[in-house]
Amino acid sequence: MKNSKFGQALEKYSIYFILVLMFLLCSLLNKNFLSSRNIINIARQLTVGIILAYGEMLLVISGLIDLSVGSVLALAGCLSIYSFYATKSILVAMLVAIGVGVGCNLINAVLVTHFGVPAFIATLAMQMAARGAALYSTNGQNLLQLGNYVNVGQGSIGVIPVPVIFMVVITVIIWYIVNHTRYGRSLYAIGGNEAAAVASGINVKRSKYITYVINGILAGIAGVIFMSRVNAGLPNGAVGYEMEGLTATIVGGTSFSGGIGTTMGTLAGAFIIGFLNNIMNLNGVDSYVQQMVKGLIIAVAVVFDIRSKSRKTRKVILVEDDKKEK
Amino acid sequence: MKKRTVGMLVGAAVLSLTMATGALADDAFRVAYIARAQEDSFAAWLADELRAQFDTYDDMTLDVFDGQANDEKENSLIENCIANGYDGIIIQANNGEAQLPYIQQVVDAGIPCITTNPRVECEGTGSIDADPYEQAKVNCDIAVDQIPENAKVVVLLGPAGNFHSTERRNAWQAEFFDKRPDVEIVAEDIANWNKDEAMTLMEDWVQANDHIDAIISMNDNMCAGALEVVKDDPAYDGVWSYGVDGTAEACLLIQEGRMTSTGLQSAGDLAQMNAEYMHKVLTGEMEVTDVYDNVPAPLITKDNVDEYVEMYKANGQIKE
Repeated sequence: MKNSKFGQALEKYSIYFILVLMFLLCSLLNKNFLSSRNIINIARQLTVGIILAYGEMLLVISGLIDLSVGSVLALAGCLSIYSFYATKSILVAMLVAIGVGVGCNLINAVLVTHFGVPAFIATLAMQMAARGAALYSTNGQNLLQLGNYVNVGQGSIGVIPVPVIFMVVITVIIWYIVNHTRYGRSLYAIGGNEAAAVASGINVKRSKYITYVINGILAGIAGVIFMSRVNAGLPNGAVGYEMEGLTATIVGGTSFSGGIGTTMGTLAGAFIIGFLNNIMNLNGVDSYVQQMVKGLIIAVAVVFDIRSKSRKTRKVILVEDDKKEK
Repeated sequence: MKKRTVGMLVGAAVLSLTMATGALADDAFRVAYIARAQEDSFAAWLADELRAQFDTYDDMTLDVFDGQANDEKENSLIENCIANGYDGIIIQANNGEAQLPYIQQVVDAGIPCITTNPRVECEGTGSIDADPYEQAKVNCDIAVDQIPENAKVVVLLGPAGNFHSTERRNAWQAEFFDKRPDVEIVAEDIANWNKDEAMTLMEDWVQANDHIDAIISMNDNMCAGALEVVKDDPAYDGVWSYGVDGTAEACLLIQEGRMTSTGLQSAGDLAQMNAEYMHKVLTGEMEVTDVYDNVPAPLITKDNVDEYVEMYKANGQIKE
């Protein structure tokens, strides 16, 4: 009985067990890992990826995806810098970035919901268009001399870096939306079975629009944090960041087939990847080996995800069979 | 209705293509420039400078194509340019070996071809390059005397297998590390020319090491990223730091006293030479196979940085 309960807990909270195990292992592997500065470093480095991962998580739960987020981030960040040059207002710059992120994602939403373009293709097209727009608007050159704009990515309140505060606030908001709103619950229904969701009266199109809009807001905020952190407008920056977000999401237990995923799981997934990157850099692991290890971890996480889901499905079938026999 | 919509879309596509390519001068030499990747800030700068240089010629026009850092795309563009009957083709290879058979096709088609940044050794072509070994060597020559005894240094590399990154690293090995066996490399990794990747590496390296005396980077972007990490840490005041490219950001950092030096890779000089040599070839003044030149790689330090800052102010990359 005890074993069974432990097994259930292990299955349910496996991602957090892995995170704790990883943390303990890393602290044994390098004495610098546990230093407060290093922990803050990891959090700061992960901020952009985590913010993007939440957007991907919402999309993947509802059976969608966004392959354009890295390019949209670059476009939003660069245009926000131009607006900062013009106004010297960080608020205006942030609003411009969010506006660009939302605008691009509304186009994604229209293509997906109204024209029936698969999300994979629609966002791939946006990936190219947004990157092209970022390069065109900057003439392919980095934007320099950002002034106070860098405070968003490099400033601190007390010992806590501003980006980390953004990350915490966004985590709480996303957690609340997913767990305590009708919209949040509708995501799981849509991702689990879209036809059933429509039949049960859920406004699927509206939910998909909201999901892309939230994703756009997150991409805009991430754009400002990214550019201010590197102290430059990089039109060619954040290439492949959609994969960073998706990796954290999938490692965190979100199912690519939709309908499953949690905010805290995604956060844990991001930190597992972050700890892994950090400890490999601290210990001077060759960058080729780092790529191999990361690939292996993603493969293991997805295999674990598939196997645990098939176990759950088997259990449900067995319970149903038992009921019928009785 | 549907036919009309399709017709309008096709019309719009044709119109936009016409507007994008512009009216072609019938009697001008048509030259194609195939850039490695317009998302690479140096390649984008080189493309802009080439456009500006070609604009100064009445009898040459330039069309720029983007290889998107993809060998297959770049090779297809070369084939398209041959088919399109350009009078001359300038190729900035993404990967010399991968483009070599296609460059050979340009030669076989009788079209003058210049490879640039990097040079691709192919019989029948000309080449203009910035020597990556020399760009790093000018830094090594001063670093040998500047970097303190038993110093701990970190090394930031460009993409694996990249010719320029490899040659610059070779220069650091032969011209610095072999001459200074007391210097210890405490960390060395690939940051793919990117500032953000270099920042992440440097943040971790600062944790893993008690102190770092010097940052040796294969380009300025990565050097700037590493410096961004330690800029507010008094323990790193005066850290020695070396890059290559002579970007606007590096010049500002050198002017502020935060970066030590960089070897200039001048897109302006490369563009000027490419345009000039291509014009001479097309007008019969010289054979394309006689085109073989390198742009100089002057060292930029705090002593001469002001003139380069002025250059960047003039082209708008640095604001007044």
